[in-house]
Amino acid sequence: MSAIELRNVAKTYPPREPGLPPQDLLRGVDLEVRRGEFVVVEGQSGSGKSTLLHLLGGLDREFEGEARVLGCDLRAVSDAELAALRHTQIGFIFQSFNLLPALTALENVLLPDFFGDGVPDAERRAREALERVGLADKSGARPVALSGGERQRVAIARALVARPPLLLADEPTGNLDARTGEGVIDLFRQLHRDGMTLLIVTHEARVSHAATRVLVLRDGRLHADGAEARSMETE
Amino acid sequence: MRTGKLIRLARGNLARELGALAVSAGGVALGTGCLVFFLALGSGLQNVVNDVFPVSTREVEVVVPQLAIGNLLGEQKIDDAIVQKLRALRGVAAAYPKMQLRVPAVTRYNGMFFGREIRMGLEVVATGLMPELVGQDARMPFEDRGEGQPIPVVVNRRLLELYNKVFAPQRNLPQLSESMLVGFQIPLELGRSWVVSRSFPGSQETSMQVVGFSERATLAGVSMPLAAIRRINKQFGMDPDTYSSVLVRAQSADDVGDVAAGVKKLGLEIDDTERRNAVQIGSAVEIVTMALSLLAALITGLAAVNTMQAFYASVRERTREIGVLRAVGATRGDVAAVVLVEAAATGLAGGVLGVLLARLAGALLDRIARTGLPDFPFKPSTFFRFELTHVLLGVGVALLAALLGAFLPARAAARLEPAKALTES
Repeated sequence: MSAIELRNVAKTYPPREPGLPPQDLLRGVDLEVRRGEFVVVEGQSGSGKSTLLHLLGGLDREFEGEARVLGCDLRAVSDAELAALRHTQIGFIFQSFNLLPALTALENVLLPDFFGDGVPDAERRAREALERVGLADKSGARPVALSGGERQRVAIARALVARPPLLLADEPTGNLDARTGEGVIDLFRQLHRDGMTLLIVTHEARVSHAATRVLVLRDGRLHADGAEARSMETE
Repeated sequence: MRTGKLIRLARGNLARELGALAVSAGGVALGTGCLVFFLALGSGLQNVVNDVFPVSTREVEVVVPQLAIGNLLGEQKIDDAIVQKLRALRGVAAAYPKMQLRVPAVTRYNGMFFGREIRMGLEVVATGLMPELVGQDARMPFEDRGEGQPIPVVVNRRLLELYNKVFAPQRNLPQLSESMLVGFQIPLELGRSWVVSRSFPGSQETSMQVVGFSERATLAGVSMPLAAIRRINKQFGMDPDTYSSVLVRAQSADDVGDVAAGVKKLGLEIDDTERRNAVQIGSAVEIVTMALSLLAALITGLAAVNTMQAFYASVRERTREIGVLRAVGATRGDVAAVVLVEAAATGLAGGVLGVLLARLAGALLDRIARTGLPDFPFKPSTFFRFELTHVLLGVGVALLAALLGAFLPARAAARLEPAKALTES
């Protein structure tokens, strides 16, 4: 059963300056990700990886083509339904962590509980999520008091607290040192073993090595997976 | 999104942007503080007007029209038959006739007056009232005890105030209170006048005894039992049957219109001089209060604009955070609600601060008035009346101003596209 289905998806941005042509970031992207898969999308900076991720997460609805995530037609549902999908079915991890500075680590993890119908048994789950990322003792700390690696782990805990079946991550190790990054990758492996579907966009090979499938986004299109894709990238 | 969680989320942002929002709250506090201050001042001044011109909404004073044709021919008068007709009018609950003392009278007081020796001679003007009208204001019986007995009198409280604030200080006389004067007897000479400097045949020396103070008593003189006035008028050969006016009490304020129409049909009119004075002064106070309140509303409006700017800046600064909220499941409504709750908290703080400022300013002005202004008749102990409605209105207006100010920024925040918001630097 598919977790993600994209058919001929295209995304064009208006020209940056008058007289310049529009920017076609995605041109007829087709993608199918089965439930439980761990997929990495590689690509150079500016290749459209983040755009693809935002589109998959229902954060950007201005595209052409057909996109279904966990059975939900992203262009057909209402804004509120899309919010509910993000709330219960999708976990997001961003490269720059995007923690709310006014909230403590625990409150940041609890953020999904503030919306919709909340998260069942939210506080216990939030503490468990913090424990899972090794930050049980930092629950009361504000982001400013945490290191980069710790902030990213808080962000991961936040993405996991609602126990979504799909995790979307945008360069999750981009701002982390090698050791911390490895820890995060190990966590992704665990989540994959637990049956979660992961789609991670990155340009770091160490993340790709953990994936079951690797795709490369180039010239607005997704290219074949695995070694073939990487060989295309190195050409 | 539940309110408790909403407040929790907003609280963190409020703490972070305390400086900017404190300026907004201060502006709102200034506007609402002015509003509450002026409303309380208007209400307090209205109280003073009511003290000086106590007007009942249910009562009217019925008199013979001064220019009535019947009156010129000597036919129009108020007697018992007319009083009965007045009582029978639709909407009338009671009618109390009043009669002027038609005989000149003087008082002469030579002796100790509350510790000070005085020599005093005054012309006495008296009106007869039914004891039921005076009611509990009389602390001793207000009934005619017959010839040779002291005549009970009630005095208008405003007269005592004028004595204490104007007459006594000018003449170095003692200040008097109601309790000091109740039971006090003053000599009275009926059938004599200082003005025309002559005595009527059969002039009679008696006395009057103060039995109480009442707003019902005439302001120009003293009020005696109607039966006493009737007896004296008859004794001196004056008309003992014609009343000078009738106080008519309607069943309710709504019935006053019907009563007035009935009075007119009987060829009488309503003497509303005092009511007109009260209404005119009251209207002047209301107009000034309204003008000042509009000024306060303008200040509050400017505070709302300031709040709008503060929240636009706040939303701009938090664009990425708003993107994060949308990513974890917030709807557009949730985002708007977070901004509006922050605005509500700002408005509430401004409103409470404004009310406190108004109370403080009121207390300060009262203190200045107490110590700095000379004592004058009807000088109130406070010029302000802070009512619960003023407080609620002040806080409500503050809340509304903040919410209106934050409405457009909240809408802008709700309309942010999450993907664009997340990529904002």
